[in-house]
Amino acid sequence: MSRKSERLVNLTIALLATKRYLTKSEIFRTIEGYEGTPDAMERMFERDKDDLRSLGIVIELGTFDPLFEDEAGYRISPSSYQLNLGELDGSDVALLSIAASAWTGAALERESTSALVKLASMGVDSDEDALSLLAPRVGGTNTSFAAITEAVIRRAEIEFKYLGKDLTQQNRRIAPYSMRGQNGSWYLVGNDLDKQEMRTFRLDRIVSEVKVSKKSNSFQIPEQIPNQDADEVKEFALLRIRKNRGHQLRSVAVVLRSDDEWEELSLPILDDSWLLRSILWHLDDVEVVEPSSLRERVLYSLKELRVLHG
Amino acid sequence: MVNQPNTPLAQTARLLDLVPFLLAHQGISISELAKHFKVENEVIIDDLNTLWMCGLPGYTPLELIDLAFDSGYVTIRNAAPLAYVRTMSSSEVVSLALGLDLLRESSLNLDNDQIARIDRLSAQLRAQIGSHISITAGAQTSNRSIIASSISKRLPVEMTYYSTASDQETRRIVTAYDFFQESDVEYFRAFCHTAESMRTFRVDRIVTAVLVHESKEVVNDQNPKNERIRVGATVRSLDRTSAEAFRLAYEDLEVGASVVLEAFSSEWLVRAIMAGAGSLAVEEPAEIRQLVRRSVDSAIALYE
Repeated sequence: MSRKSERLVNLTIALLATKRYLTKSEIFRTIEGYEGTPDAMERMFERDKDDLRSLGIVIELGTFDPLFEDEAGYRISPSSYQLNLGELDGSDVALLSIAASAWTGAALERESTSALVKLASMGVDSDEDALSLLAPRVGGTNTSFAAITEAVIRRAEIEFKYLGKDLTQQNRRIAPYSMRGQNGSWYLVGNDLDKQEMRTFRLDRIVSEVKVSKKSNSFQIPEQIPNQDADEVKEFALLRIRKNRGHQLRSVAVVLRSDDEWEELSLPILDDSWLLRSILWHLDDVEVVEPSSLRERVLYSLKELRVLHG
Repeated sequence: MVNQPNTPLAQTARLLDLVPFLLAHQGISISELAKHFKVENEVIIDDLNTLWMCGLPGYTPLELIDLAFDSGYVTIRNAAPLAYVRTMSSSEVVSLALGLDLLRESSLNLDNDQIARIDRLSAQLRAQIGSHISITAGAQTSNRSIIASSISKRLPVEMTYYSTASDQETRRIVTAYDFFQESDVEYFRAFCHTAESMRTFRVDRIVTAVLVHESKEVVNDQNPKNERIRVGATVRSLDRTSAEAFRLAYEDLEVGASVVLEAFSSEWLVRAIMAGAGSLAVEEPAEIRQLVRRSVDSAIALYE
């Protein structure tokens, strides 16, 4: 059993129950757990306040009689302490409970567990029928997830090492604007503070701990986050693809003409290395017609592979 | 951030939440209580012992929280100052908001009333955390919920499945057994009625899926085709996509290093080697090396 948590709970109870502000000396005299020299108690109390604040508890500092040069006192106002989700009925609570259970085994499991506990403490019976809905499941999160979401909410800058295309680890300093889950992966979009450019990062390629700056509100998130993927397409590739093959490439391509065996398709070149890979992946089902630079790159890679497997 | 159940701060958070929970669940068993808080029974007993010492200044029996739990069932009295349900932290709100996003995207069984409720609750939560954290899940989650129905209702699913290894979409009827996760990719095991054997599928490769409302007989299959092939290879250049395709630990990779590659099918393996554009070279077995060589030759033939 921990003396410290006992003292923190006692402090919370006293500050919640009091109708007036409790002065420091009253706190030290009456609340169990404050002992030692005045200096030691002082330090203890400072740490305790920080700890309670880190739990989201707002401690007010004030005095009731501004005319008196009173020592300021402390209290916790029940209205700020108390959960306020508005009027919820059983069906609402059931839906929120299913939402919380999506985190089983994922990054915010602890947070969702305490959220569930709070929902269950509201004294609203959850609607059992709605609970038969299948719980969805959050996937693809890792340890950086909680740190980054916290940083997005607090508008705090972050720092981490990111795995580059050539497996080098690059230091990144980012003002995180948003976190988006899509098709099982999580993406962080933010302003790269060194490059002064918008960048997207896939969470599973972050290879270090994410350091979150202590300073909150250090940037503003623009109303419209510029989409760096929506660059104008400068070039199109012309490919010959065997009929009914090359599905990955077809999803972004238009068929121009076809004969019995082959079709000619045009597709935008958005990502050079993705395109090269996809063409090679499809073996002898895909041939590059244009541009000649791409044709040469594919042929070069094939010759490289031939040497390696000769 | 509170992550370890045994730090004083984590315990404090739990103690503050225990009181309103107990007030709403008088007479709950200790093990049930531990389950709700996702901690061991001993942790809850330690919590109750600590809470029992807490109360208003004065700390006589009149001021202390009155707890009874000797019988294994917990009742609480005299806890008025802590009766409030504590407000949620931003991470807790994020967990609910994202969970609602997923629910909205994934469940086909929602009625209009539920959708309206989700939108209202979601707007309420987003007012606290902003709209910058979200899930836009696409088709994957609704397919997943159909597979989940197949598992829970023991009904077959008719699906179009895309196999990257054979670069083909196939129509199959499967009855799913369970989901499993491997390196962040979600798979499910199913009896494939089309192939009459057990198979493993990736959730994100389902193109379309429809639940068939008539159950089909599942034949006992002793030979699930899940055997892996292993191949010895050399790293020729450092490439993130190849490392991710074969789940190689990037820390161990350097040019010239020998690595073992694993795959479920040789067809997939050959394609992944090709797509690596020379970043990995297969050394053995000779048959696989030969397979790569033949694929290279037939692709080069298109150009020469």
